[in-house]
Amino acid sequence: MSSVKWTVDALAPKIEDFLEPVLDAADFDLDYDIYAIEEKSEFISPDIAVDFGGDDVELLLRQRGELLLALEQLTLEALRIPHEDRYRIVFDANDYRMLRIEELRLSAETAAQQVLATGRPFEFGPMTSRERRIIHLALRGHGAVTTRSEGAPPQRYAVVYLKGAESK
Amino acid sequence: MDRDTEAVVELVEVIAKALVDKPDDVVVEAFEGRHSRVVELSVDSADIGKIIGKKGRTAKSIRTLLGAVSMKLDRRYTLEILEDDD
Repeated sequence: MSSVKWTVDALAPKIEDFLEPVLDAADFDLDYDIYAIEEKSEFISPDIAVDFGGDDVELLLRQRGELLLALEQLTLEALRIPHEDRYRIVFDANDYRMLRIEELRLSAETAAQQVLATGRPFEFGPMTSRERRIIHLALRGHGAVTTRSEGAPPQRYAVVYLKGAESK
Repeated sequence: MDRDTEAVVELVEVIAKALVDKPDDVVVEAFEGRHSRVVELSVDSADIGKIIGKKGRTAKSIRTLLGAVSMKLDRRYTLEILEDDD
């Protein structure tokens, strides 16, 4: 869908059209702001944030943000957003997702140091494609290590290994 | 149907209608199952894939929502997706 414009003006009404009746029927005590993400780094690459507040934020963030991610998934499906563009919209509450991005970036750096010290590959635990993408981006410009993904979803994971040392 | 169940049926209906190409063919019914109240969803057979989603992710997300609603209402609702309209 190349016609999608990644602006709040273009997307907010569509997001609201879906979310309003859903939150209403579910009787969740949640409100949200939709805004453009201004300060972007290569890690914080979404264009648009849907940021939730309200008494049910705790419910939203239970089980590693399960409900937050479910709402995001259903909204992206309802809006027919193609898979390759999904990283452009992020659903968040209490900076949960943004902190997770920072946490992943730091873990990638720690893994790289460990691989350099031991010479052996480092395997992360299973991650979503969006999370693996952050690991790959974090080490993309690294001189000595490189990354790839292995395994089948939902168990797919990122591996960091020495450049030139093709494991397996 | 009690008010809670009406709201849950409406929730599944709203979501399903937004996902499919033929919203008029979305039918949601609720009945008392053995261990939970079952919310039964049927859609046009060409729209089943849109409800299930890639690797079942969309259906899983609907179930997650029902789980959260169940927790708030303190009563278990489960989703049954009918694969055929018979």
